[in-house]
Amino acid sequence: MAGRDEYQGLLDEDEDDEGVSRYSPLCDPTHLLHRILVLLFMCFLGFGSYFCYDNPAALQTQVIQDMGLNTASFMQLYAWYSWPNVFLCFLGGFLLDRVFGIRLGTIIFALFVLIGQIIFAAGALANHFWLMNLGRFVFGIGGESLAVAQNTYAVNWFKGKELNLVFGLQLSMARLGSTVNMNVIGWVYGRIQAMVGSTGHTTLGITLMIAACTCLFSLMCALILGFLDRRAEKILKKEQGKTGEVIQLKDVKDFPFSLWMIFIICVAYYVAIFPFIGLGQVFFIEKFAFTTVQARAINSIVYIISAPASPLLGFIVDRTGRNILWVLLAVVTTLLSHMMLAFTFWNPWIAMCLLGLSYSLLACALWPMVAFVVPEHQLGTAYGFMQSIQNLGLALMSMAAGSILDLKGYLFLEVFFIACLCLALLAVVLLYLYDYYKEGDLNLSASTRASRIKSEDVERLHVPQPSVDDHDHLKPLSPFGLRNRYLSRLGVQMPDHCCPHLSSLAYRSVLNTEDALGISQAERHVSSLQLCQGSSRNQSWKETAISRETEAIHNIASRNCCWRNSPHSLVQKRERAQRTGAFKHTAYQNEMDPLERRAAEEDLQTSQRIKCLNDGGYELQNHQMATDVENNITVNTHPLETTVLIIQHDWRDFLQTQDILEKRSPSPPSLSSDKMSTSISMTTLSDGSTPSRGRDCLFGAVGNKATITDSSRVLQPRGRRGETDVLGMERYAVHD
Amino acid sequence: MSTCKANFIFPVLFVVFGAALGFLGNADTFRRKVSVELNPGLKPPLALPPEVGLVHVRGLGLNDTLHFLLCNYGAPALLLVHTNSTESEVQVDWPAFLNRSLPGRLRVEPQSSVKYSSALVFTRVWEYDDVNNTADPQQTAESAFYPPYELQNFIWSRLNATFNQSDHTVTLCGGEKTESFLNGTLCLQFSAFESEDRDKPWPSLLHNANSSQLRVWLDGVTPRGNDSRFALEFQTVGESGFEGRVDVHSSIDDEYTPSIFKVSQWVSFPVNQSGVWGYNQWKPVAYRKAEPVFEDATPCKHSRLVSVNQIPQSRLVQAYFTNDSQIHGLNISFGIDKDPIFYSATKYVSWTVLVGMGEPPAESFSTLIIIIMAVGLGTPLVIIIVGGVFVWVRKRMSHSSVYEPIN
Repeated sequence: MAGRDEYQGLLDEDEDDEGVSRYSPLCDPTHLLHRILVLLFMCFLGFGSYFCYDNPAALQTQVIQDMGLNTASFMQLYAWYSWPNVFLCFLGGFLLDRVFGIRLGTIIFALFVLIGQIIFAAGALANHFWLMNLGRFVFGIGGESLAVAQNTYAVNWFKGKELNLVFGLQLSMARLGSTVNMNVIGWVYGRIQAMVGSTGHTTLGITLMIAACTCLFSLMCALILGFLDRRAEKILKKEQGKTGEVIQLKDVKDFPFSLWMIFIICVAYYVAIFPFIGLGQVFFIEKFAFTTVQARAINSIVYIISAPASPLLGFIVDRTGRNILWVLLAVVTTLLSHMMLAFTFWNPWIAMCLLGLSYSLLACALWPMVAFVVPEHQLGTAYGFMQSIQNLGLALMSMAAGSILDLKGYLFLEVFFIACLCLALLAVVLLYLYDYYKEGDLNLSASTRASRIKSEDVERLHVPQPSVDDHDHLKPLSPFGLRNRYLSRLGVQMPDHCCPHLSSLAYRSVLNTEDALGISQAERHVSSLQLCQGSSRNQSWKETAISRETEAIHNIASRNCCWRNSPHSLVQKRERAQRTGAFKHTAYQNEMDPLERRAAEEDLQTSQRIKCLNDGGYELQNHQMATDVENNITVNTHPLETTVLIIQHDWRDFLQTQDILEKRSPSPPSLSSDKMSTSISMTTLSDGSTPSRGRDCLFGAVGNKATITDSSRVLQPRGRRGETDVLGMERYAVHD
Repeated sequence: MSTCKANFIFPVLFVVFGAALGFLGNADTFRRKVSVELNPGLKPPLALPPEVGLVHVRGLGLNDTLHFLLCNYGAPALLLVHTNSTESEVQVDWPAFLNRSLPGRLRVEPQSSVKYSSALVFTRVWEYDDVNNTADPQQTAESAFYPPYELQNFIWSRLNATFNQSDHTVTLCGGEKTESFLNGTLCLQFSAFESEDRDKPWPSLLHNANSSQLRVWLDGVTPRGNDSRFALEFQTVGESGFEGRVDVHSSIDDEYTPSIFKVSQWVSFPVNQSGVWGYNQWKPVAYRKAEPVFEDATPCKHSRLVSVNQIPQSRLVQAYFTNDSQIHGLNISFGIDKDPIFYSATKYVSWTVLVGMGEPPAESFSTLIIIIMAVGLGTPLVIIIVGGVFVWVRKRMSHSSVYEPIN
């Protein structure tokens, strides 16, 4: 992480030098002061929606009395909020990225929030409950998507800088909105009541209209943010932020068992929290004889605690790892606090504080787990699906909770919540056992995780310089078994996916930061490529095309790498780079993890960064190719399977060393020896283009002519590729 | 094959759950044989006034008898007499009883078998103008009170019509001859029980064979003011040597009375002994509708217990108790501070009290809750244990077969 930040910082300095500094600090988009200003608006962007979300909970008794409701119909206000989000979780990112763009999208969603709240208030004024439900529905359309937009803005402005802090602040702001609402709106109602002279739907309507002012404020923030973002884009010539989510509903059938368990935990846990808070106020008044003010205060304590506790617990979870045990602890603590509320008359502050802590802990430990069990390209789908069924669960359970309360009372409701938590507990235990059985990463300690990653590196470092003897050593293991063993670890359960400290703050950040960094990395790469081109010997248009493709590939690959900050020395990195170069030719694309490959393909096709290339586009001048071939190829007899894994490791490592290497020796991006093929395969490209630079500095020519011919035999195009088939990976076959 | 399995599984489940239920439902299985008769021993030449009656409910136990007597001659009253004989009988000196009530006109014979007796008399319905919306008659100025409705002056409907032999209930409805009661009535529903159970309508108080239940409701009475609230005054009459106090217990269980976590009981106990001999038990809740939902519940409040010198104007009580009886009075007021709904909104309020002897029945968790908790907590526990064994075995296995390094 730190390393990345540095480079990001370096990059910024470059940008600063371009002459933006003519603005005063407050107006200078690259300056910290300006970013803080932006952050201010960013935080208040979500304030209105969070403030108004819990209006019904804060005014529970008033809403029920003034509108003449029962609890079940009161809880419909929450259910109607959740319904649109069952679907919008999948669509929000898409709408922001493809349809509206972040700026317009944010304004539109903020507008939805405002209009929803106004309809909600109008429903109260006109004494039509269905209108209030409609208002909540419209409010729900805007609310959740606005959170996505908020995170996207954060990534766009703060990626690689103060992103952790920004996510923390945004989350705290959200909690602040809820808390302020819980404690203030009742007082506002009281004042309006004193002014109007009586309670009733008019008083309620006016109070809710006043609450709508916060939404108007948020809309203004959205407008200002849009303006500032546009201005920054013009000045800095940067891209509009994207959520980068790719939702593929067909991926759902590929979800692993552990992911379904996580879904169950998520739904079963949150239905025991949010509906409870929605109904909590009257519970504390009736069971614990609290005054209304006290009840509102205790009802908001969960949010108050989670504001400071989330970053702190997120840090602890990151440091220790063992996510399942943390989730288990959180679920058990919640279970205990619910049991305390249900079966004792102990001071409910104890139980509620416990609840607040465990709620924060669960958020920190549960959401990042998704990133461990699904491949990167499915993360968007997995998170979207998770949030969708969470909303579905909340919508159904809100209504169920209201009905249970109406018919059976609070004890039974609490027992119902406890039953939900027991289900969550069951899922956690099953998840633990499954993970243990599969030897997954979920419950490793952070140090084990790190050492597992390290041991893989060491393992690779210890692979002796390939020779005929080594080849013999590896023979007894079946290639198939070996490959599966590694591919399963690499592709399906990436050990170095782990950036949970971000996602612990807001799950969206997993997507956003990683993607954003992926993009930024690609951007940097492109810029360096262009830099190289200037001094390059071969400045053909072809290279531009190639560099574009390289960019895309880097983008993909960087998504698979998560800026793990392994403390390798530069020498080690170089060594690795050399080896990558050495082995690259024996790689063939079919050996790639199918998931990775699919991700790559999808990304390439959808991102539209790559134009169709002519067959002849990749022909290279002879001398370039010759050097490449000469330098790269040392051995071609190395077992394919080992090579594959090494290449995949190395590729990932390379992406980390890439920047250093680029900065040190800005040699032209060389293509690998793909003279035989009419297309550029992803792996060859990645292998070839990068480590050769490292090798340039250190190695010199290692290979010999004999190996060149051998190596050229390895990769052969099978069949003619279509023009649109950019990667054409599957068309390669091994002839060994 | 599968049907065979199902045939096997269901009886097993049945037995398991049956055993569990039997184990859990270790509640009071004590039963009484309940019989109801109207005006015991009244022979034709003599007749009560048309709207007046004396209901005698006899609950026959194994070696004791519980007599409940309900009478609306004067203020409606419920008399409870517990005898340690299965042969005890109620004897009414009808001519004297009709003429003028004096102690001894109504007896339970043999008198030596009487162990405990106590009576509950509803004496007044208070109405007050709750301008400050405190719902507390004690904080309300005297001037805000309207003249109370004296229940001894009420005209009651005929008892015969509302007499239900099968479920041992008697409903008494009546009212004053004033405009307020033109369309309204005050009703009392008495129920006696053979065994432990609950009534279906809220507050669903748990009752047993030693208790009876009185539900009081005020339906359709025209309030004398817009902000009218009502309160009910009742008195208990007990033998000398007994003391009374009102306890309010907190209960975590609101399953049968949603959102009510308190139980109030007015217990009477002998002065120098421990143990409760009789009780009136109620939950501090009244309902604003005949078929209430959750929101129709309104809290209610009781006043301090006050000692009364004069025996209440009920023929039944006056005919049974002597003048040295202990008499206490209590008001139950309906509504809560800042409650925006007054009586005029629904023109209905109902309140229920349990009257019985011995210890008042205590609530316990319902079987459903216990099963949910047991299954909910048990399943993860079982999985944890099984999983723990699995993990342990696996660890041992992996220890025994250590991977040999390739080299």
